[in-house]
Amino acid sequence: MSVLPEGSVAAGWSGAAGSAGSSGPVGSAGSVAGRGSRRGRRLGLGVGQWVSLGFLLSLVLAAVWPGLLAPGDPLAIDPRAAFVPPGWGHPFGTDESGRDIYTRVVHGAAPSLVIGVAATAIGVGLALVLGMLAALAGRIVDFAVSRLLEVLFAFPGLLLALLVITVYGPGVVTSTVAVGLATAPGYARIIRSQTLSVAASPYIEAAVVLGKSRGRILARHILPNALVPVFVLVTLGVGQAIVWAAALSYLGLGAEPPAPEWGAMLFAGKNYVTSAWWMTFFPGLVIVLAAAATTVLGRALQKRGVR
Amino acid sequence: MPLRHRSSLLVLAAATTASALLLAGCTADGAGTSGGGSAPSTPVAGGTLTYATGFGEPTCLDPHVGGNMPQALLGTNVLESLFSQDAEGAIVPWLATGATPSADGLSWDVALRDDVSFTDGTPFDAAAVAANVAHMKDPATESSTAILALGKVTSVEVVDPTTARFVLTEPDSALLESLAQTWLAMESPAGLARGMEANCEDPIGTGPFVVDSWTKQDNVTLSRNDSYNSSPAGAAHEGPAYLSTIVWRFIPDPATRFAALQSGQVDVIDEMQPDNVVTAQDAAASGGQLGVLTGALPGASIRLELNSGYAPFDDERVRKAFIASADVNPGIESLFFGTVDRSYSVLSSSTPFGASFEDDYAIDTDRANQLLDEAGWTGRDSEGYRTKDGARLTVDFPISTNQSIPAEQSLFEQIQATTKDVGFDVELHPLDLSSWYASLAAWDFGVTSAIYTKNSPDVLRILYDSANIIPAPSGYHPNHSHVSIPELDALLTTAGETNDQAERADAYQKAQKILADGAYVLPLYDHLQKIGYSTRVQGLSLLPTLQLPYLADSWVQQ
Amino acid sequence: MSGVVGARRADARGWGPLLRGLLLRLAGAVFVLWAAATLTFFGLRLIPGDPAQALLGGPGSQASAEALAQVRAENGLDQPLILQYLAQLGRLATGDLGTSYAQKNSVLSIIGSQIGGTLLLAVLALAVAWLIALGLALWATRGGRIAAAVGSGLEIVAAAVPHFWLALVLVLIFSTTLRWLPAVSTSGPAGLVLPVLTLAIPLAGFLGQVIRESVLDALAAPFTLSARARGETENGIRWRHVLRHGALPGIALSGWAFGWLISGAVVVETVFARPGLGRTLLNAVQLRDVPLVVGVVLVVALGYVLVTVLTDGASRLADPRERAA
Repeated sequence: MSVLPEGSVAAGWSGAAGSAGSSGPVGSAGSVAGRGSRRGRRLGLGVGQWVSLGFLLSLVLAAVWPGLLAPGDPLAIDPRAAFVPPGWGHPFGTDESGRDIYTRVVHGAAPSLVIGVAATAIGVGLALVLGMLAALAGRIVDFAVSRLLEVLFAFPGLLLALLVITVYGPGVVTSTVAVGLATAPGYARIIRSQTLSVAASPYIEAAVVLGKSRGRILARHILPNALVPVFVLVTLGVGQAIVWAAALSYLGLGAEPPAPEWGAMLFAGKNYVTSAWWMTFFPGLVIVLAAAATTVLGRALQKRGVR
Repeated sequence: MPLRHRSSLLVLAAATTASALLLAGCTADGAGTSGGGSAPSTPVAGGTLTYATGFGEPTCLDPHVGGNMPQALLGTNVLESLFSQDAEGAIVPWLATGATPSADGLSWDVALRDDVSFTDGTPFDAAAVAANVAHMKDPATESSTAILALGKVTSVEVVDPTTARFVLTEPDSALLESLAQTWLAMESPAGLARGMEANCEDPIGTGPFVVDSWTKQDNVTLSRNDSYNSSPAGAAHEGPAYLSTIVWRFIPDPATRFAALQSGQVDVIDEMQPDNVVTAQDAAASGGQLGVLTGALPGASIRLELNSGYAPFDDERVRKAFIASADVNPGIESLFFGTVDRSYSVLSSSTPFGASFEDDYAIDTDRANQLLDEAGWTGRDSEGYRTKDGARLTVDFPISTNQSIPAEQSLFEQIQATTKDVGFDVELHPLDLSSWYASLAAWDFGVTSAIYTKNSPDVLRILYDSANIIPAPSGYHPNHSHVSIPELDALLTTAGETNDQAERADAYQKAQKILADGAYVLPLYDHLQKIGYSTRVQGLSLLPTLQLPYLADSWVQQ
Repeated sequence: MSGVVGARRADARGWGPLLRGLLLRLAGAVFVLWAAATLTFFGLRLIPGDPAQALLGGPGSQASAEALAQVRAENGLDQPLILQYLAQLGRLATGDLGTSYAQKNSVLSIIGSQIGGTLLLAVLALAVAWLIALGLALWATRGGRIAAAVGSGLEIVAAAVPHFWLALVLVLIFSTTLRWLPAVSTSGPAGLVLPVLTLAIPLAGFLGQVIRESVLDALAAPFTLSARARGETENGIRWRHVLRHGALPGIALSGWAFGWLISGAVVVETVFARPGLGRTLLNAVQLRDVPLVVGVVLVVALGYVLVTVLTDGASRLADPRERAA
């Protein structure tokens, strides 16, 4: 199956950022072969990829068992110990209510990662349905879905999120759904073009010639091949979803206080940026690292890709 | 009522005792007051001052339309009122020279200055007053604040060019105080006649500055009125302002606003965050270039209103348990860096007749637990919250992100944490202004914090008279606590009508005692106007009526 | 697939199909605008909050019943929703965007006064992002393994930085500490530096990754080999062939970048107190100013349609295969 993914995943990658990847399969198909063989030689993980993997694993650990890394209570206030700079007792300092920022960052891994994963799952899930429909259900459906995607694209993602949140009220669930919806059209386009290119590939033609049933071809050949890059998309998308959810929290539209969600922590800290830089620095750093690490791993997967 | 974006209706007399015109340097180094500071204090004419406001950008500069704080802030330097208030809060003439009520109190003859003109040349006279009142009362003006303040006024008759007669439906002892507010300021009749769109862009008044241009979402530029001759009582000088230009900028983000002040991009900012106040004061103490000017806004203190009309706070024991477990003092100290004092009064410290009942707000978790047990909230669920008949002791707390400053929102989080110890599940919901008002209108809350600025203890009647549980057609009801006590209503009515100061004091004292005993309200602290300025600015002061910055006496060192 | 209508390129032979493609594209654009307006209209009416109050001094006003009734009647808010929708659609069809509830001003003039700042910000940010991304990509593909690793790391981190956080950090460094640059927008160019950088840096991260990938592809591609064989200089090859090829996915991404920049503008304009469409949109949503929100959405959607057409054109210019088609 080495024919497809390289080129289309490259297009797919840009989709992770919500892109159209509108160069489509044709645009990048020409170069696939050369690059694929060049990359094919290096399958091992590099240093950066090991570090990223380690960081992400520790985040997962923090999400599953936060008490192991930070035994304290992320909500415990102590107004007398407010605005303590980073030091021995509080490695990341304390916030305006004297809560330990390290503890909150660790305990914030779960909500933040869940938002990232769930939003991506919503976006990709929706996109899978739309993209497959557009690619396989005939010209009329394709036309309709493509128009729908155009419309969603023409909406600034933030406005879409803003509307969803003002209708259903701010909170983790609504902001997750909002980010999922806002990223869906990007994924959908990639999946559509991916599916189209798989469907047009020689081995599918071969399968048709061999007289295999439509459903069998779909289930055994098209779906798996179209899904592999989606898996890569998910790894790449989670990081961006975390950033977008944080942006919503930053506008005061995300997690409700005092939840230790990273974006919400940034939101609370921004007012003290001159007097207590650590309140914004550490949650911001974790968001950047989480998003960067998922990108590094996603790209590593993409390069090893599917062969 | 609203303060940050809010139409505030103020009314009435009495007094602002805190920082007054020319007495403004009550904090920091005082360099901002006339004659204060280390620099030579000879006023310099000319120059541009850049003022950055965090109160938001008005959607219309004419304060008759709607009527909120951003309009009043800007309007204070462009438009003038018939009356003003002195440092003690007493009513003093401004564009009017005096006022006499008729014997039955059903009309007031207001005498006017005969030497004032609007900046478009239209003379200020009784016909202008009549036109302004007609404009405010015209539904097409879409006034919210002014129309309410003029509720008892039917019309204004022109007796002669310098006498305007206000005709009332019933006596209104608050009339002159109402007329002192910027929302009821006098505008040129010729200007009003241009229609709403033009008047919103450029209201024409008699003030020290005129609106030059308005670049939406960026700034309003004001320029000096060279023929200005109607300074309010207490102003540092008569005649035209010193500054030739004011650039009035809108910088919504508080951190950016302060950064702009620090970097010298702007000269004066409002809505300073508490930590920035401390930074500026420290800078000033070490010879830095910043100063801070504060004044307590009149009206109600910043407080929590417990919704006594609905469960769970319809049970007085539950309210008392909440108040006995909401430990706010440590938070007020740490979050506000000593810039505000804890208040035990429903009224702001700048409003007369405030009564403090510190004992009613003592923290006592044992008592809180006992009260909740008595009230039947005896169960505990897995998360430690109390339950009754399987239902959790949940208190919804909608927070207006427009009205409550960040430090305040953090304080609410601390209240959530301390009341959790006795089993309250306080759920904080930060909402935009429209959603927040919608949840108040639907009584969909257990506790909330709302701001109400008004230059009189009569604010108590607006907030706690049972009549104000009934919503206005827009759904707004000022009595968020759902307080309905006939005895309280009677006391507030008496206090609002009588001119006997001892009787008023007694009635207000008793009324506030009822509120404290019934645990309807948890006072937190005064609502402070916090102005930061560069020491390049001299002669900055607050106009006492609403504690708003007054720039006609200011100048900038070149 | 690119383009609003996605007319299949293979069909494009002769004038007839071309004209049909053009018409389809136009119809697609109109459809996008109609759907955006419709979604926004109904979306806003689902939101709690009364538009009549937006007209009467904003939420929490104590407007009287008669005043509310009057503005409802004047603005047709007492009509059934579907009639209001049709009326608005009718006005929109004639190019009338209506009057802002809160600002009492024509929506067109409000947008007209705000769009310049946002466009300037977006165009500059896009240009700066391209500069950074191209520079980084060319450097990283030339300088050996370490340069490649550093370049890739920089791109990934840049793309992962939330712009709101970046804005705070930049203000802290360049305004509060160093005092080199103003913290809020000014009329001069200095005030643009931080807002533009805030938007450009994460965007450069995205663009850089995509561009570098295809620069690498292009360097290994047959046409590069044959150019080398023809004896063209390495620089000549880079500029004439590789860069052009490398820019292709970047150009495609620029269409997406437009939407990203508009979303980013909401945050950046608020932090740096810049006038612009982003801030207008945020305020208008909060005040339930339906005509203004619909107006801004339409303008943004129109912008998206135009950018898509432009990036299509640019792709055709840059891609010899597309020109041949």
